Amino acid sequence: MAVLLELKGVGKAFGATRVLEHIDLAVEDGEFITILGPSGSGKTTILRMIGGFTQPDQGQILLDGRDIAHDPINRRPFNTVFQDYALFPHMTVAGNVGYGLKVRGTANAVIKQRVGEVLDLVQLGSLAARYPAQLSGGQRQRVALARAIICQPRLILLDEPLAALDVELRKQMQEFLKDIHREIKTTFLFVTHDQEEAIAMADRICVMNYGKILQLGSPTEVYYRPHSEFVARFFGDNNLIEGVAGDRGSVATPIGTLPCAADGTEPAAGAKAFAVIRPEAIRIGNEPGANTVVAGQVSSVNFGGAATVAVVDVAGVPLRVKLPSRAEGLPLKVGDRVQLAWRTEDCRLVAA
Amino acid sequence: MKRSPLATLLLSLVTLLVFILLYGPIFIPIVTSFFTVKYGSVDWSQMNLDAYAKLTGNEGVIEAVENTFIVGLSAVAASLVLGTVIALHCNSGKSRSRALLQFVVFLPFLMPPIITGLSLLIFFREVSIDRSMLTIIIGHTVFVLALVYRTILVRLQGIGFSMIEASYDLGASAPQTFFYVLLPNLKSALIGAGVLAFALSFDETMITILVTGTQNTLPLRLWAMMRLGFTPDINALVAIILALTTVMVLIAARYLIPKDFAGADA
Repeated sequence: MAVLLELKGVGKAFGATRVLEHIDLAVEDGEFITILGPSGSGKTTILRMIGGFTQPDQGQILLDGRDIAHDPINRRPFNTVFQDYALFPHMTVAGNVGYGLKVRGTANAVIKQRVGEVLDLVQLGSLAARYPAQLSGGQRQRVALARAIICQPRLILLDEPLAALDVELRKQMQEFLKDIHREIKTTFLFVTHDQEEAIAMADRICVMNYGKILQLGSPTEVYYRPHSEFVARFFGDNNLIEGVAGDRGSVATPIGTLPCAADGTEPAAGAKAFAVIRPEAIRIGNEPGANTVVAGQVSSVNFGGAATVAVVDVAGVPLRVKLPSRAEGLPLKVGDRVQLAWRTEDCRLVAA
Repeated sequence: MKRSPLATLLLSLVTLLVFILLYGPIFIPIVTSFFTVKYGSVDWSQMNLDAYAKLTGNEGVIEAVENTFIVGLSAVAASLVLGTVIALHCNSGKSRSRALLQFVVFLPFLMPPIITGLSLLIFFREVSIDRSMLTIIIGHTVFVLALVYRTILVRLQGIGFSMIEASYDLGASAPQTFFYVLLPNLKSALIGAGVLAFALSFDETMITILVTGTQNTLPLRLWAMMRLGFTPDINALVAIILALTTVMVLIAARYLIPKDFAGADA
């Protein structure tokens, strides 16, 4: 894929606080890229810089090879879906959606036709004459999206647009946003602090913290192959076993020397490190194909809907094991002695 | 707890008395304006509009009313423009110069009017501006600006930045953003502030005395007349002004409550 937008060495400080440190990021044409990070990680600042609402102190933002870092907001071919939607309360849905065309001096007949098309796309065709105050949260969200796509921008910036919605509606809107993305094939840059949301929607996830990009990759990459302790912990519920890195990607831990898959990002031999194994990658009993086998005692079994999480104490180290639940219950009791097994490629090594 | 009927009756009487004491004096001129007053006593036998007819011939009062309206409307127009500009500026960021500007705007409103008036008088003399209608208008604008500015600023803060950012984001220029997005959302605040500013200007006396030339506004004229005693047509004038004021208060109440924002801030 071709690169649409490139951030090169972008930095920003608010007073004495550095919010972004030398960010390099290439956004590919047509992709759905999610910037994921906890609050204060600098993710919204990146979005606001691309949109033109803030200027970087250093670095360039390249579009078609030209630095647009200091172009005014209204000269950039990007549109934004704001966190609070920022709909104009005195305009109808049609007025809101058509605003971008109106200020460009588009003929009224054309505006009317395009507004109709875009409202049909977001399934709000029947509400064109309503005012924002008369809409539900999900409907306002779709008006904000329609308003952002009508001018056919090169890039759509979405600033935590689903944060204000309840869980059920959020799931629907995630599907909906993905459908729209497939339909219009415009590049989406989506900012969120919600890991599940990022995994469910993105082609690529850019994990950030403390103003730095920690890892950039597909959802499965950042989920299964973390490059840092932060990323390993950020996706929740992970097993991190502290130890000392050995050579050839192994790590010496209290439960033995564990072989790990190496991809060139692991710490040097002798450094403090964590072995990282996802709970769902661990099997109970000696599975064929498993390279690592340890023995332990079950200390708790927690039914959690689709999955049941068992905590197994292995030489004083608690390991979480996630198993598919069964109606009759799992053949596991607290106190059972069990063997845990996993494949070397499921075990990663990150610096402590 | 239930009150006894007697207590309820007594409370009602006290309430009624308070209302009569508060509003009775206002109604007396209205009632008397429809009757003939002779030798200090009201002739209740016949209702007529003589006082109103006489008022149309009282050139001094009519000129004063005209001046009051010219001053009031000019001061409202000037303060709305200035207030909007200053509020937009002060809302666009925080800095020491903005804080200072805000302080300067509030100063004439917070100081005793006699100090504001004297300062203006000295200023006009020093820069050799002859006292005239213009100086009255400037004085009133300076005085009402704080109220207009504050009303607009509060509304601007309610609108928030993201709506303005959204407008720019969709490709609008600064003038387009102002006329399509900001002004429609400020409209009710501007109307409310305008009505209140006019009301303040209408009865402003202290500053006006100090900065006027030969012109009289209505409060000055009435003050001057006090020495000679009021003629019955003044009752008619009071009745008309009360009617106008009531309408203005209703308009202000309608526009100062931001109906257009109800429910739009989810």
